[in-house]
Amino acid sequence: MKQIILIFMIIFTSQVMLAQVKTVKGSVTDAVGSPLPGASIAVQGESKGTITDFEGNFSIEVQKGKTLIISYLGSETQKILVGDDNIIKVQLKEAASTALTEVVVTSLGIKKTRKSLTYSAQELKGDELIRVKDANIINTIAGKIAGVAVTKSAGGTGGSTKVVIRGNSSVSNNQPLYVIDGIPLFNGTSGQPNNAFGDTAGGNRDGGDVVSLINPDDYEGMTVLKGAAASVLYGSQGANGVILLSSKKVKEGKSNLKASSVTTFESAAYLPKFQNEYVAVAGGEETWGAKGASNDHVKDFFETGNTQITSLAFSSASAISSTTLSYANTSGSGIIPGSGLKKNNFGIRQTAKFFNDKLNVAANANYTTQKVINRPVNGLYFNPLTGVYLMPRGNDFNAYKENFEVFDPSRNMMIQNWMTNRDILQNPYWGINRNKSEDTNQFFNGSIALDYKVNNWLSIASRYSYNRVESGFDKKIYATTQGTLSHTNGRYINVNTLSTQRYGDLIATINTKFNEDFSFNANIGTSITNTIGNQRTTLDSGIGGGLQIANWFTLGNFVNNAGNLQTLDSSKEVQSVFAATTFGYKDMLFLDLSARNDWSSTLVNTNNSGFFYPSVGVTAIISEMTTLPDFINYGKVRATYAQVGNDIFPFVTSPTNGFTSEGNKPAITAPKPGTSLRPELKSEVEIGTEWRMFNNRLGFELSYYNSETKHQYLQILAPLTNPLGVKYYGINAGSIKNTGFEAVVTGKIVKSDKFSWDATVNYSQNKNTVKEIPAELGGKVILTEAGVNNYRYVLEQGKPYGVIEGVNIKRDVQGRVLLNADGTIQKTDFEEVGNSNPDFMLGFSNSFKYGSFFANVLIDGRFGGNVMSLTEAVNDEFGVSKATGDARNASGVTINAVYPDGSAYAGKYPAESYYKQIGGRAGATGEYVYDATNVSLREVSIGYTINTKRFSFLQTASLSLIARNLGFIYKDAPFDPNISLSTGEGLQGIDVYGMPSTRSIGLNLNVTF
Amino acid sequence: MKLNTIKTTAICISLLAAVSCTDNFEEINTNPNGITQELLEQDFNHIKGSFGPMFNNIIVLTPEWKYQVQQGLQGDIWSGYMATGTAFRGGTNNTTFDLVNGWNGFAWGAAYGDVMFNAYNVEQKAKGKYDQFYALSLILKVEGMHRITDTYGPIVYSKFGTTDPVITYDSQDEVYNQMFKELDVAVVELTKRVDANETSTFVTTDLSSYKGDYKQWVKFANSLRLRLAMRIVKKNPALAKAEAEKAITQKYGVMTVNADTFKVVSPTYNNPIATISNAWGDIRMSADMESIMGGYADPRLPIFFNTSVQFPGQFKGVRTGIEIAAKADHVDFSAIGPIVNSKEIVLMNTAEVYLLRAEGALRGWNMGGTAQSLYEMGITASFDQHGVSGATAYIVDNVKTAKAYVDPNFPANNGAALNNVTVAWDAVATNEVKLQKIITQKWIAGFPEGQEAWSEYRRTGYPKLLPVLKNTSGGKIDSNLGVRRVNFVQSEKDGNAGGVATGITKLGGADTGGTRLWWDTTGPNF
Repeated sequence: MKQIILIFMIIFTSQVMLAQVKTVKGSVTDAVGSPLPGASIAVQGESKGTITDFEGNFSIEVQKGKTLIISYLGSETQKILVGDDNIIKVQLKEAASTALTEVVVTSLGIKKTRKSLTYSAQELKGDELIRVKDANIINTIAGKIAGVAVTKSAGGTGGSTKVVIRGNSSVSNNQPLYVIDGIPLFNGTSGQPNNAFGDTAGGNRDGGDVVSLINPDDYEGMTVLKGAAASVLYGSQGANGVILLSSKKVKEGKSNLKASSVTTFESAAYLPKFQNEYVAVAGGEETWGAKGASNDHVKDFFETGNTQITSLAFSSASAISSTTLSYANTSGSGIIPGSGLKKNNFGIRQTAKFFNDKLNVAANANYTTQKVINRPVNGLYFNPLTGVYLMPRGNDFNAYKENFEVFDPSRNMMIQNWMTNRDILQNPYWGINRNKSEDTNQFFNGSIALDYKVNNWLSIASRYSYNRVESGFDKKIYATTQGTLSHTNGRYINVNTLSTQRYGDLIATINTKFNEDFSFNANIGTSITNTIGNQRTTLDSGIGGGLQIANWFTLGNFVNNAGNLQTLDSSKEVQSVFAATTFGYKDMLFLDLSARNDWSSTLVNTNNSGFFYPSVGVTAIISEMTTLPDFINYGKVRATYAQVGNDIFPFVTSPTNGFTSEGNKPAITAPKPGTSLRPELKSEVEIGTEWRMFNNRLGFELSYYNSETKHQYLQILAPLTNPLGVKYYGINAGSIKNTGFEAVVTGKIVKSDKFSWDATVNYSQNKNTVKEIPAELGGKVILTEAGVNNYRYVLEQGKPYGVIEGVNIKRDVQGRVLLNADGTIQKTDFEEVGNSNPDFMLGFSNSFKYGSFFANVLIDGRFGGNVMSLTEAVNDEFGVSKATGDARNASGVTINAVYPDGSAYAGKYPAESYYKQIGGRAGATGEYVYDATNVSLREVSIGYTINTKRFSFLQTASLSLIARNLGFIYKDAPFDPNISLSTGEGLQGIDVYGMPSTRSIGLNLNVTF
Repeated sequence: MKLNTIKTTAICISLLAAVSCTDNFEEINTNPNGITQELLEQDFNHIKGSFGPMFNNIIVLTPEWKYQVQQGLQGDIWSGYMATGTAFRGGTNNTTFDLVNGWNGFAWGAAYGDVMFNAYNVEQKAKGKYDQFYALSLILKVEGMHRITDTYGPIVYSKFGTTDPVITYDSQDEVYNQMFKELDVAVVELTKRVDANETSTFVTTDLSSYKGDYKQWVKFANSLRLRLAMRIVKKNPALAKAEAEKAITQKYGVMTVNADTFKVVSPTYNNPIATISNAWGDIRMSADMESIMGGYADPRLPIFFNTSVQFPGQFKGVRTGIEIAAKADHVDFSAIGPIVNSKEIVLMNTAEVYLLRAEGALRGWNMGGTAQSLYEMGITASFDQHGVSGATAYIVDNVKTAKAYVDPNFPANNGAALNNVTVAWDAVATNEVKLQKIITQKWIAGFPEGQEAWSEYRRTGYPKLLPVLKNTSGGKIDSNLGVRRVNFVQSEKDGNAGGVATGITKLGGADTGGTRLWWDTTGPNF
């Protein structure tokens, strides 16, 4: 620490003023007017020189009459004679080759030339994020970045998204870090389900995340830093990769008003198949009765959803300040009747320069409010879909729709009208209208950044940001809701959570050249992040306690206080110092060295609360170092080794007791007796190469990585017989290895004045191995417990991350089904039935231009992996699925089975008996495992750019027809495997009455005034 | 330059501040909603606070579904007390002898997480300092844990508290021996305090009907000893006799009046069976209850059960282990009656103690009365407990026996009357018949606490219960013999696999529901 302060002292005192020369300031822009950072400014005939900063500005002391040589790789070099002007503006023309000119945003918001990067970073331009707009910006990146797996939650519009970069590497958290303009964003969720059955406290609900609340129109692009090296500057938080978003910058001297309007219509795309030939016995809950026609009511249940996103942005900039104001409104109705979303985004961004442009100040404030009515849940509780799918056939669905409640003279009130009283099977319209829920989110993000340019090689920046997310959940459950879910007088659940994150940093940036050949670049800094996650107040009148007066939903009406709680999920502070340096030689060889030390509050009471980790990387521009054949425009190789530490769960090392009305409740988790916890450590080696050829018409980038995350923080179920009374022990054990390969190929396949076709292929494969699970755990870590269902999600020694376990039908070596003596089917214990992770992913995006018309097509494929459908299993058990109808038509199920005495089973197996044994959430769930491989037409847009010359008030205008998830080119599973019941770590690779995937088609209008 | 100096200073200070204030890490890392040890020790809540969870989880009072899988779909069913008309898991579950792994762990979980852990906690903090609390915890521990060994067989008992990677199981034999010793400690400690006329310090922690009365706790401990002694009678008759007589002759003796009945009196929760029966319709009167109590025209019937909605005026039971097409088929049979609409949950009553003494007397032990007198006092105590009249006539009824069971909706479920004993004592009958009478009356008197009735059914074979018609155990459990135990639990297999292995060895048979426990022998009752 002391050394770092010393460095700062030296830096500040070494400032020397040279009075005999004049200072020339200037800016360098590219052919289209964007600032060029890192452009070289040299004085002809002298060794003196500088380079532009990241806004393209430079300042140099030079004598009048000298000539400045301004050069930038990939641009034509320009010479300027220094005259009386103290300010020079230079616009460099594009050189024939553009391979070396690209600038990417990297860690801490620092822009770097792409060529100098020693690791893999892939960019998406702003229009990729809004072309086929989704209410959640992250859903639009699926298939566009190699190595990034995007899984939507089953929570519908406004739901959260699970993003995994380069495979799962941690037991506790695999989500990347989101960073806006260099400042980490708090992306917590107020809750994710981890129980296949469903939650009696309001159902399996997606609490939403923060990144879904931001306005896609506010950003000009996204950079994904995939590896550990790229994220070493963010420390633990960046261990799973970093997604950087950059705010739109305003061009000087321009004012404009941008408006866009997107209207899409969503329809349920993939429903389970049902039988309509058999009905239930009178009063029966399951449909195993006689033959008899029934209507297919399922299709009609779903409505056409509609999403309307309108956004406006006003911006204006002068030489010393800029302002952007933005507003977006999203309003939608879901495919499940009675569900809908409203979202408002407000944003303001202000930049200003002071002290002769030495001090740059940027302030940002964003506020989002969102309200979701009846956000879809999954699982068997509070889910209208169970009632829709499972209703005993033969009943008139429409009659129950019209009259979901009837007057009960004995209670003098309206009560639920339904043919059965079963917890998992309520009248769906009762659920929609009388178990109504309202989710609200408010998100504020405020930041201020100061950047002071001390001299031409040093600048100091300091930033502070505050994130605040409030989430509310309010559910009013009316009396006569089924007794497992509600008290006889109804139930009121009201949950409010608050999360905040405060971030501050101070970074010195050194950007200099030792001489013509050697450049040096360094960031030295310190940061502090203080996070409070989900400070929650829960009011729940409960089932046992209940309400005194029916259907009066307020705290004062609660019978007792047993369900009212204050809890806190996490609280931590991480303090860090770090340094990252790049040494460059002749703009063709670069060496990166960085190091970081974190101190985390979560490691208090352990042997060491601080942890150190380094990284090193090399990159060489082969095309600059040697002469390559003419058709090669650019060639580069790179290699990097990095480590990232990761702290552990908060509170574990400072356990406290609970105390309820019943008495003592021990802590939930404590370190395993006799052990001390330590941070996780991820080590990654990455090598890669990038090439451009044929006048830059073909480009490819290949990366190979090998990472291992050791000393995983695991919460293992403590045996119930443990003396601390805790549910879990926290231990360090296990290691997860990921080895993968990524390829990005870009091609300008057709390039002519009238027609062009650009295509990109993103390929990634990842092999994952879980190792070193302690023997006492039986080589297994359970991520989702089975409970009463035959689905379990585990990490298993020697297997890839995310093994799906279920129960199979027992078979002999010949594959014959083993029966018991009484003819029932034998089943195995829990065993592996699949794995939730893909073997490889492929994205193929195309953009076409023909005159003023343009079109984009994105095909997204995930290959390998499995999913289990408990929806199908339960539909079978209840005799409503098409399979059960077909089996009954065939007078039973054909099985090749034997009795214990070896005699063969004769005839067909009765359908009802078969599906009651095999189907259901606790049946032979191995029979309901499908290949998750799927190839989908993810995005399609066809549009027209309006010629604005005829409308003088317009700057640009375009209109396009857009479609998302148009259809599957290939799919095995009976549902969309790209949707997950949880965006947490558990409950993957399974569907339990999740909302069907939607296909959306609509119009997108963009206008700039 | 001046500005720079100021900035430099400011930056350095903030840098220093940023890295030197890890002092508050402990505070940041402490959950403000948790209670620290210092706060807990105020008013001795670190000891007293352990009792609530123990009282509330011997039988899980909340949430109701936990009770349902702890006992409601185990002992309550297998004792022949109740039956369910709900086809859980498609009609394949505990009631058809396919023991559901997902349910098996709940009895274990409540016992260890709430009872055993807290008893251990009290032992750590109170033993040698506040021995009255230690004594109380021992009695509750024995009451809670004998149910667990009677469910699973070998369990973690003497080794509880070890931090070894493998926590070995004790054989049931060892568990019973330790329990007797623990009751010794508790009885000696509390008796000393009763004798010294000490003011009770239990009052605020005691959630039972005893309201902190030390003497009542001594009586309960003695009664519990009697129950445990009788359980091992076929395996270790000498020890059984010694322990039983020790219980009777102890200075304050066993329960003799209904005020002695041990019940948890919850300030908050109703008997969970009320919700399961009334709100959920998931539990009903059993066919065996209809056969036996119906056959006797037992005056306690209206207290125990409601009359059927479908067959007004009749008590209709549901047979366990049948094909269930729809819940609606049997939901309008007899629900559980007013006995469960209460916040008082009886765990051991005076009637049981008299009937245990009756059996002891039958076995020739010194129980302070003859078998007949104790038998009749037991019946009378049960009638009194429920405020029901007619005990005198009931006791002398030598005509009525159990009746055949009829399922009016599904005749396939009908069953013949299996029990042919009358209520009236018959001095010339065989010991076996006398025992059947005693156990049958104890079975009735113990309702609705099915765990104990299931254990006694396994020990004695009485009352005879209707066999299941649908057995999906895959040959693991005999339809006529019924479920003898519950498999070891999944969480133990995951977290303490080595321990489970020791348990299986000590069990001496396959880890299935068909393997008999140590005290459950195939030998004769006499």
